[in-house]
Amino acid sequence: MSDLEERGEIERAIDRILRQDPMSRRTFMRRTGRGGIALGAMLTLPSLLAACAPAKTKLEWANWPLYIDIDEESSPDPTPYPSLNAFIKETGIDVHYVEAINDNEEFYGTIQPDLAAGNATDWDIVSPTSWMVKRMADEGYLEELDQSKLPLWTANCADYAKGLWFDPDNKYSVWWQGGITGIGYDPNLTGREITSFDDLLDPAFKGRVGGFSDMRDMMTLTLASLGIDPTTATVADAQQAKEKLLAASRDGQFRGFYGNEYYDSLAAGDLVASVAWSGDITQMQLNDNDKVLFVVPKDGAPRWNDNLVIPKKAAWIDQAHKLINYWYDPAAATTLSEYIGYFSPVTGISERIKADADAYRADGDTENADYYDAVAPTVAPSEDQLANTFDYPQFENPDDEKAWNDMFLEVTTAGG
Amino acid sequence: MNPAGRRLLPYLLLLPGTAWLLLFFAVPMAFMLVMSLQEGSLSAGYQLTWNWGIYPEVATRYGSLFVRSISYALATTLLTLAIGYPMAYTIAFYGGRLKNALVLVVIMPFFVSFVIRTLNWRMILSDNGLVFGTLKDAGILEQSYRFLATPASVIFGLTYNFLPFMVLPLYVALEKIDRRMIEAAADLYASRAQAFWRITFQLSLPGVVAGSLLTFIPAVGDFINADIIGARSPDVAMVGNVIQRLFLSVNDFPAAAALGFVLVAGTMLLVGVYTRLVGTDRLTS
Repeated sequence: MSDLEERGEIERAIDRILRQDPMSRRTFMRRTGRGGIALGAMLTLPSLLAACAPAKTKLEWANWPLYIDIDEESSPDPTPYPSLNAFIKETGIDVHYVEAINDNEEFYGTIQPDLAAGNATDWDIVSPTSWMVKRMADEGYLEELDQSKLPLWTANCADYAKGLWFDPDNKYSVWWQGGITGIGYDPNLTGREITSFDDLLDPAFKGRVGGFSDMRDMMTLTLASLGIDPTTATVADAQQAKEKLLAASRDGQFRGFYGNEYYDSLAAGDLVASVAWSGDITQMQLNDNDKVLFVVPKDGAPRWNDNLVIPKKAAWIDQAHKLINYWYDPAAATTLSEYIGYFSPVTGISERIKADADAYRADGDTENADYYDAVAPTVAPSEDQLANTFDYPQFENPDDEKAWNDMFLEVTTAGG
Repeated sequence: MNPAGRRLLPYLLLLPGTAWLLLFFAVPMAFMLVMSLQEGSLSAGYQLTWNWGIYPEVATRYGSLFVRSISYALATTLLTLAIGYPMAYTIAFYGGRLKNALVLVVIMPFFVSFVIRTLNWRMILSDNGLVFGTLKDAGILEQSYRFLATPASVIFGLTYNFLPFMVLPLYVALEKIDRRMIEAAADLYASRAQAFWRITFQLSLPGVVAGSLLTFIPAVGDFINADIIGARSPDVAMVGNVIQRLFLSVNDFPAAAALGFVLVAGTMLLVGVYTRLVGTDRLTS
């Protein structure tokens, strides 16, 4: 297992190096770890637990890597995260922000034994994806949120970011950030426009197409391409989707089933087209390859979001509410979005970023103005995007989920 | 020492090693066996149901991956032997005063993490990278050519990563060969080739066996190369990749444990047959 541990540490070290320079950091502003094989969280958790002092002095928050604004140079105290520092200074609540989640299932595996035994985990806030919120809520592993302590959420949360299927009354969760899984491609390399998932399976691109190793993303895209609503799809529907993906996989259509590494291969042109996360391609156009376009397949694509929840028996429930509320402050949300560029749950962020762009332009700083102008439209889903995207499949029965996983594993290992 | 003590001494000396094996091999294997026979889910909990059916199930579902892993590991072993033998031979016979320095060079890559080295190869060998980009620009290779994410690239990665494990035991075996025996063979009118084949190679066989085992066993279970150099292509997925995914992203612990158990048992079986056929017993008897 030392290889795995080593690898987790290496990825962190690489992150750290990249953070030295904010511009190159932007090229890395993609959601590392989603569906990836990143293994750091599980292996480093015991050491984190061991390092925890008995008397609690900090609010412990587990989030995904590269999912917050970072600026080590100009504001290193007490954390490298400017927006979080503002909260710490304002409230005096010290926050220990840990990039501990690389994969929903993997992270869940690290806290589930404590939760199942009725013990507190060491976290006060964790940031699971929609379906994982539902699973944790169904298991009784989440504290209920007290909405009276979240006035900024009540005032500023956008309609698309509340009352969703996995937690219809926002009893346990509020949005952190969200995005769309669509297709990124370079029209110069494909030689044609790509508008659907089926276009990705064009034999002309054989071996130069990237898939994701994330079962939910791939199955949702495929089901949508078959005209089946992924949110309510049955195991039999999934079987159809599997056959379609399996045939393509056997024919060598996919170069690989990637985690975050797809970004480099797509930017370098090793992949002519790939399944891609919306925020990534904005960054790619700005920093690495301005020829790559992002499209939401016309048959539909998955729309996902990560959330803020408080695990059962957390020590600092009150303080956790204060921090959750803080992220719905438009100023904090703007700082965050200007840096990470995913869908923000707060209304009016796009306009605020636009205003910042105008301010930069008035100052003659066109580089930053262009950057913010490009980011502004990407921080909220458009009407078209909302109409044309699906939530992830909602497995009522855990056996179904296992069946889907088994099918997808067959796809990703099917080659000759 | 009294006779009873003398009889017990070998067992006492074996005690630390036996305890080690028990604690770090037998016990985890037993845990894994029990895990594989359970049913349930991470949320609902696992119950031991003696579900032996999991074994034929994983064997049929992932049988082809076992075949692939074993053939990659075999190819890797043969390649490391073909590359490593001349290396070890040259160092042992012609190294002179540089011997130790040359051995240090062989193990030099270990000073850098396995994963970092493998990530570097991914960069060097990328479609338009240092090697293939240049060859493509020179018109030697087709623009569409790629090496990464192919079986050959994974075998390349495995061979690169495990080469020192082959070279070192070979070197040790070759280094201690008494040169006078080769001279004696020449005196008895053996050609150089005959002397090599009948003296040097035979005496180096323990090194060949040790080197093959040190290469084959970890290569069969490797997943880092298929993952990084193989770009998780469906063409190159090995058993290790599936075990890793089942354990960490699917949370299907019983199936993962069963696969792991089959992998260990299968490897032991193959190794048993191999050492029986070319093992060192034959040489010493």
